[in-house]
This record gives sequence, C-alpha cells and structure tokens, in this order.
Amino acid sequence: MSIRVENLTHIYNKGLAYETKAVDDVSFTVADGEFIGIIGHTGSGKSTLIQHLNGILKPESGSIFIGDAEITAKKIKMNEIRKRVGLVFQYPEYQLFEETVSKDIAFGPKNLGLSEEEIDERVREAMQMVGLDFATYAGRSPFELSGGQKRRVAIAGVIAMRPEVLILDEPTAGLDPKSHEDILNMVKSIRHRAGGIVILVSHNMGDVAEMADRVFVMDGGKLARVGTPAEVFADEAFLKRIGLGVPPAARMANDLAARGLASGRVILNIDEMTDFLADTLSGARESKS
Amino acid sequence: MIRDITLGQYYPEHSRIHRLDPRLKIIVTLVYIVSLFLVKDFIGYGIVLVTVGIITAISKVPLKFMLRGLKPIVLIIVFTFTLNMLMTQGTILWEWGFLKITKEGLYNAVFMALRLVFLIIGSSLLTLTTKPIKLTDGIESLLKPFKRFGMPTHELAMMMTIALRFIPTLLEETDKIMKAQQARGADFETGSILRRAKALVPLLVPLFVGAFRIAQELAMAMESRCYRGGEGRTKLNALKFRGRDALAIVFTAIYMAAIMAERIFI
Repeated sequence: MSIRVENLTHIYNKGLAYETKAVDDVSFTVADGEFIGIIGHTGSGKSTLIQHLNGILKPESGSIFIGDAEITAKKIKMNEIRKRVGLVFQYPEYQLFEETVSKDIAFGPKNLGLSEEEIDERVREAMQMVGLDFATYAGRSPFELSGGQKRRVAIAGVIAMRPEVLILDEPTAGLDPKSHEDILNMVKSIRHRAGGIVILVSHNMGDVAEMADRVFVMDGGKLARVGTPAEVFADEAFLKRIGLGVPPAARMANDLAARGLASGRVILNIDEMTDFLADTLSGARESKS
Repeated sequence: MIRDITLGQYYPEHSRIHRLDPRLKIIVTLVYIVSLFLVKDFIGYGIVLVTVGIITAISKVPLKFMLRGLKPIVLIIVFTFTLNMLMTQGTILWEWGFLKITKEGLYNAVFMALRLVFLIIGSSLLTLTTKPIKLTDGIESLLKPFKRFGMPTHELAMMMTIALRFIPTLLEETDKIMKAQQARGADFETGSILRRAKALVPLLVPLFVGAFRIAQELAMAMESRCYRGGEGRTKLNALKFRGRDALAIVFTAIYMAAIMAERIFI
C-alpha cells in the first residue's frame, strides 16, 4: 500500500470573487509503513489536502492513487476507499451520536457491511487500542464521558474500520497535557500493532519531530518542504518566515550555536539535548583537569 | 456541497439605497406592495417598472441578482398564469376539449404574473440592499409602539439577529459532521427515502448537540458581558433619519401620487 498524489489542485468558491486555491499543484508519494507529519500554519491547506486522500473532497485537477486504485477516477466506489483510508477529523468528538460507546464505534464497520460477530470483535479491539476498557465503557453514553475520552471513542470509531492508511487531523488539539500524551502514545501503539501508513497533521513541532519519518511543510496551498525531521527543522529561519517554528530542543540548540556552541549533530528532543550537554560539559571538565 | 448554498441575499455595495434608514426602507416597501394592488392596467405597471428600474440603477445591484430572487417562485408564477389563462370567461381565442383560452384570460394571466414579479423584485430590493442586522434593527424600532402592550420587541429582534448570525455557523457545522460521518462510510445520497431518513440520524444528533453547545456558550458570553435585555439599552450605531431619507420620502410620495392619478384619471 502506498500513496501517490500528482499535481493536486483544489479551489474553493470557484468562479466567485472570493475563490481561493486551497491546494495548489501538490505532488508527493508515501511509501508503505511510513509515518508522515504535515505541518503548516492555519489556512495553509493541510486539512483540505488530507480530505482528498479518502475522497471526501474532489480535486479541481490532479490525481490520487491509493495502492493501485485511482480514487480521483469517476467510477470509483467510495466505500472501498473509506475502508482503506481512515480519516480522523479535527475535534472528532463532535461527530459522536449513538446511545452507547460500542454502538458509536460500530457505526463505521456496520457501514462496511460486516457481520455482527466481526463488528463486535472490531469494536473490542478498537477500544482496547485506544485504551478504553470494554466492560466499563461499552454500555455508557458517549455524551457523559470527558473530552479526552470522547476523542478516544471517536478515534476508535475510525480504527474499527481497520484502515491501511490512518490520517489524523490535529488529534491533540485542545487537550490537557496528560490526554495529549495519551493520544500520542495511542497513535504510536496503533502504528506499532497495525502497521500501514500514518499521516499526522499537527501544530506541535515536537510531536512531529519525534514521531514522523518524513515531514511535509505546507505553505499557501503548496508543498513548501519535504524531508526528514532533521532536514526540515534545520532551517529555523524558513519555518519562522511561514509562521511555524522548530521543536523547543532544536531552538535551544540553534540558540547555543548562535552563541558559539555548535553541536554539530541533530538535536530535536530533550534526550538528544541532554546527551549533547552532558558530552560538552564532561569534555570541558576533562580539558580543564 | 453545502458551501455552495448562499443565504441571506444581501449584496454588499455603498449606494444611496444601501445607506437609507432601514425603518424607512421597510415602510416604503410596504407602501410599494400596496401600490401594486392599486394598479389597474399596464400603464400603471409602466410607472412601477420605471420606478423600480431607477431604484435598481441607484442601488448598483446587478440585474442578475435581482432576477435570481424570482427563481424560487417561477413555479407559482407559471401556476397562476396558467390558471388565470384557462379559467377566465370571455371571448374565446383558442379551444381544445375542455381547455379554452380567452382574451380576458390572457390579459388577466399576464396582469397577475406581472404583479407577482414586481412584488418579488420590490421586496428583494429591500433584502438585497439592507444588511440582515440592520433589517432586524429597523423591525425592532418599528415595533417599539407595541412594547406598551407587553410585546418583547427587543428580545424578538435579538432572537432574529442571533438566528441570522448562526445560519452560516450551523451550515459549517453540518458540513463538518457530514464529512466526518462520510469518512466513516455513511451514505447520505443513495437509497430509498426511508434509508435516507435513517441516514440523517448520525448527522442530526451531533448537529443538535452542537447547537445546544453553541447556544450555551453564547448565553454564557452574553451573561459575562452583563447582557440583561432591552431595558435602558443604547446602540452603538443608532438609526438616524437623514437628508437622503427625506428625499426618499418625497420620491415615494411622488410615486404614489402617480399611481393614484393613473388609477383615477386614465
């Protein structure tokens, strides 16, 4: 399973005075098993781009291949695509509607036309994957849960469809630090167990740096940069210019370098920073003695 | 798909008509509607056409927008036209079985259809040139006399304003939820009526929940800014009667005089 996007363009309000090119001639490929992070400031076209990947939006021009299926083709069956590409929207807890948590999670699998046993098995598996105890939560109303729990239910509803590509649009927006970490750990464990492609849209540079194999930088509807986190976050000036930043550890490394203490290595998280500082300090002590 | 729906047909421009006092515009529109029923022949419609034409030209609203307002009532116009044409007794022009077109019928049909068209065009001129907020302001102000009889005019106007304000918000919300459920394999577009009605549940429940959430948040925001209804409340943009409004009154008076004169003397 791989994704190939060719010259994708999407225009909102075409033909009106306020028409905008939300996605502008974007092309990329994603290999099987890759973890992609997409960053970009508000209105840069991230959400529009990912909504094309499971056929929710139709492009103005360009084509998208999921595996060998061209999902931008006219005669394609949408349910086939949605089975393979799972999309978790921003604030997904607002889409919950069923009486119980298990029924809500079963909505997706039911739409795929699976058998009762299969659905039940998938619901249990999805709940386990998002860290909700089946016995405790399955029979409860999703509306009486906490914000973080609601979000897990909503994510479980997509996971239960067992997509080969999982796309998450800012899954941690508006959550407290604990829930934030829980959701990220959940994404990691899902990827670990289910494999496949994961695409994470996030405003948190630290999260992206830590989790992604490659980072896509969106700016003004265009794919401005593509590279490993180390490559992308090396250019702090560029990221700042388009309204983004670098992970805190990388910023510190850059500040240190500006003051004459160049690290000469990639520093994206606290551990790497700690190692660098420990090495530098012990080196300084040795040269003194 | 939902993005394509345009609601409230205000056409943003800075014409003299746009800047008129909304209260006056509402009253003038009412007067205009009455005048349409005073017209008794096509010469009268000539006067109406010229007047509407002049106002449209001053308002700078493109003709295309004006005619767009007619679209939803095309069916009603055709219906009225056909009924009038076939049901009026008189000199027969054409006959086929029980269907017959009379001279009087044809005249009546055209006359009635024109009345409907002018009715719609005139009232769309009001909504095209007046912001919904101004419109509710005007309605509130005009209803003020009824306050003495216990009518909560400010509250009614506030409700209308809030409703108008939240139409786009709710549309956006609907669009979002629809997409989210489609991503989970929901199908809103195919199947029997019963199936489609059932498919709406995953859309309507979150929408209602969301509407209540929005209402609660708005109420909280209003409370925290000490909103306590219309008593003693002043306005930032108070409605003011200006010179151009007086001019509009004169214009309206002349128009009405012309319609009356035409009715009586010609």
